[in-house]
Amino acid sequence: MRKSIALLLIVSLLSVSVVSAAGTKESSSSDGKIHLRSYMQIEPTNSQYAGHNAIMAGFAEKYPDIIIDTEYASGEAFHQKFQAMAASKQMPDIFTVYGGARTAYITEAGLALDIGKEYLTDDIKNQYSSATWGTQGTNGEYWMIPPSLAVCHVVYSNDQLLEKLGLSFPATYEEWLAQVSVIRSAGYYPVSMGNKDPWVVNSWLLSLLVDRLGGPDWFMKAARGEGASFTDTPFVRSLQIIKEMTEKGMFSPGVNQMSNTEADQEFYQGKSVYLIDAGWRTSAMDKDLPSDLKESISMHVFPALQGEVTTNTSTATVSEGFGISASIKGTAKADAAWKFIQYYNGQEGASIRAQYGEVPTYKLDLSQVKMSTMQAKFASFQSEHEMGYVFDAVMGGEGVSMLNEDIQAMMLGNGDPSEIAADYETFVSKNDFNRL
Amino acid sequence: MVQDKSKHRAYLSLLLPAFLVYVLIILYPILMSLGLSFTKWRHFKMVGFVGLENYVAILTDPSFQKSMWNNVQIMLVSVLGQIPLGIMLAYLIFRQWVKHTKFFEMMIFLPITISSVVVALLWNRVFSPVGIYTSLIRTITDNPDYVVKIFENRTFAMVPILVVLLWQHTSLYMVIFLANLQRIPESVFEAATLDGAKEFTIIRSIVLPQLANVIFTCSVLAISGSLKSFDLVFAMTSGGPVDYTSVMALYLYKQTFTFNNYGYGSAVSIIIVLLSVGLITFVRYVYAKAQRKYE
Repeated sequence: MRKSIALLLIVSLLSVSVVSAAGTKESSSSDGKIHLRSYMQIEPTNSQYAGHNAIMAGFAEKYPDIIIDTEYASGEAFHQKFQAMAASKQMPDIFTVYGGARTAYITEAGLALDIGKEYLTDDIKNQYSSATWGTQGTNGEYWMIPPSLAVCHVVYSNDQLLEKLGLSFPATYEEWLAQVSVIRSAGYYPVSMGNKDPWVVNSWLLSLLVDRLGGPDWFMKAARGEGASFTDTPFVRSLQIIKEMTEKGMFSPGVNQMSNTEADQEFYQGKSVYLIDAGWRTSAMDKDLPSDLKESISMHVFPALQGEVTTNTSTATVSEGFGISASIKGTAKADAAWKFIQYYNGQEGASIRAQYGEVPTYKLDLSQVKMSTMQAKFASFQSEHEMGYVFDAVMGGEGVSMLNEDIQAMMLGNGDPSEIAADYETFVSKNDFNRL
Repeated sequence: MVQDKSKHRAYLSLLLPAFLVYVLIILYPILMSLGLSFTKWRHFKMVGFVGLENYVAILTDPSFQKSMWNNVQIMLVSVLGQIPLGIMLAYLIFRQWVKHTKFFEMMIFLPITISSVVVALLWNRVFSPVGIYTSLIRTITDNPDYVVKIFENRTFAMVPILVVLLWQHTSLYMVIFLANLQRIPESVFEAATLDGAKEFTIIRSIVLPQLANVIFTCSVLAISGSLKSFDLVFAMTSGGPVDYTSVMALYLYKQTFTFNNYGYGSAVSIIIVLLSVGLITFVRYVYAKAQRKYE
């Protein structure tokens, strides 16, 4: 009796092991080629990534001995699966990794290779714009080379509407506020912004305001708690401005119910004069808008603020790029992965991406590239404005999420800027990795 | 004796695979979750045991309290809304008080066949600030600032979700009740009518006792379903604005998969399990009492 139960138990457990083992696929090199497994946060079927597809094809042609087996995912699904891969130590050789805190579950767990130490030289660094080499790891590590900058603040204006209303883009915040009554009395909404997902106001507006009023030095001190805090004037005043903009009717009604796409549609349909959005929206504009509308859209930054310490700035983060698994450090696989990253970000990849409308971080003579209307505007926008930091790319996610909800509540009339700042400071001082 | 032993062996050999699967898939994760709920994690590394700290933090977190209250609202709508409404609709069709019963049966059943994500997108398209309903009201009232304000109200933001849940899930209960009503012999109704019983008496003394078992089963389904509500809320509002429409499963999801607080998330899941078991035990108690009354 006992023997048969034991036998059954063994058989059952063995079956489970066999089933589990069937799911593991070893990269074979019996054909003499280097096989790399990659996991990318990209949607290859989306026309926005046509450049990516062209690069992958170009790389496969140039390096036939390196085979890249790629799995694609996007949004939250990407992160969930990536976390599971990390937890089960089934890391891909090449993967999408963020310079900021978004993939801290990989970088802080030591699963990404510090390419700064292993591969980057001053010669390579000089081939890219200086903004490319912002802080990534807290100890100066570099996990990836960002192919392009994620510009997180742009004020788009519909110049046809502005002209019709007898207005021009305001030079100061006060002038902008004064335009509200003129725009509203003509039956338009001043500013469209979709804050249904509450990170929008943080990434696209608060970051800019805090950077303008506090500057990068103050911000890094506040983040680390070294002689500055989030109860200081720059942060509280930034929250007050958001509250003031809401109360004075700058945003279209239902700003906190509206998704990004809906806010964009409102602006494209000529119902609003301005749109606060990110720089990467230009790709969709190029694809979706008629040429006359594209011609009449201009790209600006938030007007001048009283007491600002940086002027005429936007915000940008290095966002994401491709990293290498720390587990293949020092192997031929790692060298092959680095070859791919250099191809993707360097001269060849940058030229291909530029043809598809991306403004690369690699120093490329864009005058030689035929760019679409909005991409040309975006390229000149980037050359005209210094870039500040993006708040939620620096601060820890849990605190930022709490702050975002508090800001949304404030915009709905249930919050006070000073109290929100105090609550956030309390949370950061106890929990944020910048302070621990 | 020998025969008994071989019978036992046969039973065990039949049960063991299922038992092993149950242990691996159900029991082990629950026990693991219980163990994890007393720990603090950071980036896949356990930082240490924290005892009941996670539980205290969860139960004193206003955001969790709000989420739990929202789950209670869903449960109330499910048990006191969907089930009675399901019985009423089923009885209406069963007694053929309306014409074209097959048509109504199909129309009422339709919402449950649609994916929750599709339902959420559909309702969002109608009531969002650029939706059809909002645009229509703006035109009619000549008020360009009109939006459906209830979505932004801390106290009542759940109402639209509750309405959708009522609309979507009542049909499932209706079908269950209708199938069970059809099992009551027609002669019982005829006899009651001949004895001069009024409709209310028929419902109270014949229909409800006959459906008692099903009502209990549906209540268990409604309670457990309400406490794990996720898909519709996630697709419709993602818990926003702020945390006004958050539910416990969303809170758990955010803590576990967005902030990687695995210990904290496990503690939330244990609280949900305990609440679910507690409430179902309570329903069993009420049902047993009601059963004794009718015996």
